[in-house]
Amino acid sequence: MFLKDLKEKLYRAVIEGDPEKALSYAQDLVLSGLDVRQIVSEVLAPAMRTVGEMYEKGEYFIADLIASAEAFKQVFDEVLKPRLASGAVSRGIVAVFGTVRGDIHELGKNIAKALFEAEGFEVIDLGVDVPPEKFAEVVESREEIKVVGLSALMSTTMIEQEKVIEELKRRGLRSKVIVVVGGAPVTEDWVRKIGADVCGDDAFRALKKVKELLGVA
Amino acid sequence: MPKPLLTVLSREEALEIHSKALDLLSRVGVRFEDPEVAKILLDAGATRSNGRILIPEEMVSEALKNTPKRIDLYDRDGKKVATLGDGALIFNPGSAAIKILDYGAAEPRTPTLEDLKNLVLVVENLEFIEAQSTALVPGDAPIEIRDVVRLYPILKYSRKPVITGAFTAENMPVMLEMLRVVREDAWRRPFTIFDACPSPPLSWSKVTSRNIVDLARAGVPSEIISMPGLGATAPVTVAGATTLHHAEVLSGIVLAQTVSRNAPVIYGGSPALMHPRFGTTLITAPESILVSLAYRDLARFLGLPTHTYMGLSDSKLIDYQSGAEEAYSALLATLAGFDVISGPGMLEFESTQSLEKLVLDNEVCGLVKRVSRGFGVSVDEIATEVIEETVLRKGGNFLLSPHTRKHLRKDVHIPQVWDSTPRSRWSGRSIYDEAHATVIKILKEGSYHELSPDVMNELNKFYEKLWMKTSSKPKYV
Repeated sequence: MFLKDLKEKLYRAVIEGDPEKALSYAQDLVLSGLDVRQIVSEVLAPAMRTVGEMYEKGEYFIADLIASAEAFKQVFDEVLKPRLASGAVSRGIVAVFGTVRGDIHELGKNIAKALFEAEGFEVIDLGVDVPPEKFAEVVESREEIKVVGLSALMSTTMIEQEKVIEELKRRGLRSKVIVVVGGAPVTEDWVRKIGADVCGDDAFRALKKVKELLGVA
Repeated sequence: MPKPLLTVLSREEALEIHSKALDLLSRVGVRFEDPEVAKILLDAGATRSNGRILIPEEMVSEALKNTPKRIDLYDRDGKKVATLGDGALIFNPGSAAIKILDYGAAEPRTPTLEDLKNLVLVVENLEFIEAQSTALVPGDAPIEIRDVVRLYPILKYSRKPVITGAFTAENMPVMLEMLRVVREDAWRRPFTIFDACPSPPLSWSKVTSRNIVDLARAGVPSEIISMPGLGATAPVTVAGATTLHHAEVLSGIVLAQTVSRNAPVIYGGSPALMHPRFGTTLITAPESILVSLAYRDLARFLGLPTHTYMGLSDSKLIDYQSGAEEAYSALLATLAGFDVISGPGMLEFESTQSLEKLVLDNEVCGLVKRVSRGFGVSVDEIATEVIEETVLRKGGNFLLSPHTRKHLRKDVHIPQVWDSTPRSRWSGRSIYDEAHATVIKILKEGSYHELSPDVMNELNKFYEKLWMKTSSKPKYV
């Protein structure tokens, strides 16, 4: 009961964009023995999802989004990151993340970015509304790039993930990288259909799978 | 003569904001990206703290004392057309659009030099848009000279004064020289005004601060356009954004006056609310307009000539929203009595120009200018004798009165494109289609004012050299 109450409080603090409270509840949660991965997947990620929904509904403004993102970032960097597994094994591996063309939702992408960075990956963040050619150009530009993360929140923009894969194939880059496709509408079926490698519906599972495929797990 | 005048700040409120802005300048200071420009101010009594230039109150007061309260504006051919400082209401096309919206199109496209020439010809034939501006950024000109080449079709075809600006520090002297090709005393009796924008909050880029320096040295009017982004680069409150805006403009005035005492400077602005959900910059949001109205009063309080970005729309199409935003902002700007009003033709957050909208906006400019002109109250205008005569002896029909005929010409504004017809005489076309027909007609039959062959020859030589510097062939339009 105590744990549930604390989780709820952290959830609220992130939604309200109050980094101070969020930090203190997150510390309490860690002290109570809750696994940091659970804190992310059961509290922080759902909180950020709610914030995104509130923005979509017109209840939240950009200033509110930024406040929540800041609360998330502080909790992640100061409380969770130091307790995640050492990222040494992934050092030197570069991942390119972006939200696909036509889509400007970046909360999911940012959560994945935080997790990958915590694991020692260098993440190149291309931002939102990224065309397939841009992904391909960046992949082409550096040898160390081994992972491409394509985020899409909407079923209407999911199709762009397939276009990025086609562009990578066209340039002969497909085999160079592991392609992670993420976002609310993404399923394992979709991953198979478009020839991606990893389903990013859950950032932790995706990270684990990527590390296995890279042989650094 | 009764004349509507809109003010929002009392003298006490204006004083309060002014003193708060002085406080910001002396304690928070201004960042100048260019150390040489910073040095100009440091040598004149400013101090440095944490890389910012602190401007003491005395420097501001001295600068304000030296800033001309009136600026005479001429046309290209040297004829005086207006005196700025008392609400001259010079409408001009919103400047430096990177897109043009064609008739019937939903998506704007990148404009060309040819488009700019057409725009210049349209504006030359619109009565209530009294100045040209370098309104389009031509995508078919080399990037290094994209600001300068815009002057070419204007100088070639138009007599009207020009609102313009340089995109780089290096091109300002080139543009200034180009003016002198057209008229030797183009600096002393200016027909151009150059915009220079600080970068909010409280900072000046290398380009625009150097522009101010060059303009002050040449004695050509500069228009300091602070552009606070409410809720992003400035406080979201109108008073906060106005105070920041005022401090920025004062810093520009101090720079200009330090470089050259009595340099002509116009107090301008382009405040924009950052949309809380979309992050777009709304020029026509009520809050943005309130900032403009407030700084208009601050400039009035200081006796300075003024400029604003109003009489424009944030809509993407020529539709109900564009008409409403255009009219309400243009009317407020005229009632507040700005000298230079940049906006007509503009859509989508100061990014897109439209020839049809220019024609329609010209109508708005005519209407709002008529309102702002007010009306006379002479014995003849109060007209009790005419009333008595008509009621007692003419059957109450004022249509027959010579008084009506006399004042119709003088007092009544007749729209040109606006539809005022009875249905029986209506063309059946929308106002947008009518505007397009007018554009076509102007481009086919409109008048323009070319330079004399000698001067044209010199201008062409200058133009050719300009293109040669980029190793490209000049595009003549």
